[in-house]
Amino acid sequence: MAETKLSVITASTAAPDPFDLDSLRLSQSFTETAGVKKLLRTVPVHKPSPQDFVRVQPSEEYRGDFPMIELKDEREEYIVARPRVGELAGELVVKTLFTAINRQGVVFLWPVRLPDPDGRQMEWHRSMREAAEISMDRWTRVKANKSLGAYEMTVAEGVMSDPVWPEVSFQELIKLAFRDRLITTTDHPVIKRLRGLG
Amino acid sequence: MREIVLADFEFEIGQGERPVPVCVVAHELRSGRRFRLMRDCLGPTPPYATGPDTLFVAYYASAELTCYRALGWPTPERILDLFCEFRDRTNGLPTPAGASLLGALAYFGLDGIGASEKRELQQAIGSGTWRDRYTPEEILNYCESDVTALERLLLAMWPDIDLPRALLRGRYMAAAAAIEHTGVPIDKPALDRLRDGWTNIQDQLITDIDAGYGVFDGRTFKHDRFAVWLSHQGIPWPRLDSGKLDLGDGTFRQMAKAYPQIAPLRELRSSLSELRLNDLAGGHDGRNRALLSAFRSRTGRNQPSNSKFIFGPSVWLRGLIKPPPGHAVAYIDWSQQEFGIAAALSGDTAMQAAYQSGDPYLAFGKQAGAIPVDATKTSHQPERELFKQCVLAVQYGMEADGLAARIGQPPIVARDLLRAHRETYRTFWRWSDAAVDQAMLTGSLHTVFGWHVHVGEQSNPRSLRNFPMQANGAEMLRLACCLATERGVEVCAPIHDAILICAPFDRLDADVATARNAMAEASRAILSGFELATDVKVVRWPDRYMDPRGVVMWDRVEQLLDHQAIQAERQIA
Repeated sequence: MAETKLSVITASTAAPDPFDLDSLRLSQSFTETAGVKKLLRTVPVHKPSPQDFVRVQPSEEYRGDFPMIELKDEREEYIVARPRVGELAGELVVKTLFTAINRQGVVFLWPVRLPDPDGRQMEWHRSMREAAEISMDRWTRVKANKSLGAYEMTVAEGVMSDPVWPEVSFQELIKLAFRDRLITTTDHPVIKRLRGLG
Repeated sequence: MREIVLADFEFEIGQGERPVPVCVVAHELRSGRRFRLMRDCLGPTPPYATGPDTLFVAYYASAELTCYRALGWPTPERILDLFCEFRDRTNGLPTPAGASLLGALAYFGLDGIGASEKRELQQAIGSGTWRDRYTPEEILNYCESDVTALERLLLAMWPDIDLPRALLRGRYMAAAAAIEHTGVPIDKPALDRLRDGWTNIQDQLITDIDAGYGVFDGRTFKHDRFAVWLSHQGIPWPRLDSGKLDLGDGTFRQMAKAYPQIAPLRELRSSLSELRLNDLAGGHDGRNRALLSAFRSRTGRNQPSNSKFIFGPSVWLRGLIKPPPGHAVAYIDWSQQEFGIAAALSGDTAMQAAYQSGDPYLAFGKQAGAIPVDATKTSHQPERELFKQCVLAVQYGMEADGLAARIGQPPIVARDLLRAHRETYRTFWRWSDAAVDQAMLTGSLHTVFGWHVHVGEQSNPRSLRNFPMQANGAEMLRLACCLATERGVEVCAPIHDAILICAPFDRLDADVATARNAMAEASRAILSGFELATDVKVVRWPDRYMDPRGVVMWDRVEQLLDHQAIQAERQIA
């Protein structure tokens, strides 16, 4: 072997005690080293599935009232931008959007209609709001009962762990949920359709 | 390092025997000294130094080190095994010419001697037939060609060798040599009797075992009959995409764990299809010896030949393991090793508490709120079983459908169990997800002592997820073997998460204690102080070792062999 090559080897072999296990140990803290986080890119807007147990984020920062238009056939909800509210008063209703999550960890916005300006409120909407409030503390299933004329609630009796909420602000959730469903002008296709112009 | 010695032995070896050295060639790199010695010139110590100032370099060093043991030479203190390092560097990636010395040379684009010439010579030397065909000079030249090849390989690999951890791997190769030298004590007369009678008893064996199943037609396993039997037993069996029953041995093995009544049938099937008794290596001293094939598997575990190693074939054959007179064997395994490793390395305190409770499955059920806190293994056996199967399913990377089949419950039950695991052990799952992310982002994962798996084109996320548990479990076993053998315990075999030791009666308790301490120390070293418990099963001469899963099969075979012997005696009379 050439002398230069040998010197490379011999120079590098001044290792510490080879069997000092503490010094040999490499980190297994993959959570710290991998450096990844789940991106939330889709936030559906709907009431809970009748089979799902859900929880509602109890923090006030994670709910808000919005003027909305609902296309019932498509089951689509649109937010009306504040400057357009006056012009569209006849078409819109005001709903509270609650931040909710199911047992599979899917985060969604749960729209619940507020009472009409005259204070009247259908039992359906009242019971839905009550369900949302109960869901802030307990895993709750919400199911329409036509005979009752209201939503009925089932709460989980067993010990179920609390949900893990994504580290995303309510504003960001709204942006994700309504990025294509914000009505800012009266010539929006939804308004045209409602007015028989589209 | 004062000296760097590259060495290679040629040796004769019979099935199950210790090697008989033929020659050794060694090059000391710093001084340029060369040593070429045939057997009759080998003294009581190596002709070169072996202390802490000498780096001993070899390719698959346990072969050289079993020759050291055969010669009574002291084991080198600093061992660099380029096989281990080549495996570490390429683990998970394609190696076009394999992982032999030639394969490693080819991988680095280095010149190697002709493969065919090597095989011919190897066979002649190994079988002891070289004397009539080759001169000592030719044998030494051949041996030296491997040493010079090793030199080229060392230079190519050196810049990227992580020497401190490489030396730890080399240390295990010395332990592996000690274990291979010791071997597993077996009942050689029983093995010979079995070999002689196996062919003749197979039909009767099928008739006897199948009496409880009714699934054979002659020697043919009938799928439709098996389906009927499963239906009667109420056992949900996994199916292939085609809808047919999955009859792979892996499925049989898994299902036999969940449904013990399957075990005798699985033993019978695997024995009929795979048993090659003549390959089972039994030396003249009544010891089973097989190459441990250290670092061969992706997780770094040993991968000895299934047909040669006593722990390889069907479990009923472990009944051949029998301590010699005045001795006992002890099978010592870590309790729920994988669960403990996952708990400790992930830092999941709930999981650690479950492990330390002594019954992680029951504890998991309690932590999930599905079992009352005052429940016991006896009071809530069926519930505990569900949580146990869930833990095992997570370890195997099983999805809800697989778990549902295993527990015989609808998929929704399995999904709820798996969800309970995710919710109860959130820290573990975050860590486990991060391990897969790290592998995919950086192209590799490593153990606490630096055994790597690289992400190749064929990488499977499920095996990457399981790598930290399996590969650190392998590290733990290797370190325990090092500590136990270095402290004088006669380790006969490493077996996944256990070791088998042998000791004379008067030393048994002390050796068992030493071995258990070594295993506890190894677990603390791997898991940053978290200690895993061990269980011990001792078998004293004249009893034989027996795996509970193989008892039915072993007893039937014994009866049939006895019957066969009586008939033969009658015929003679």
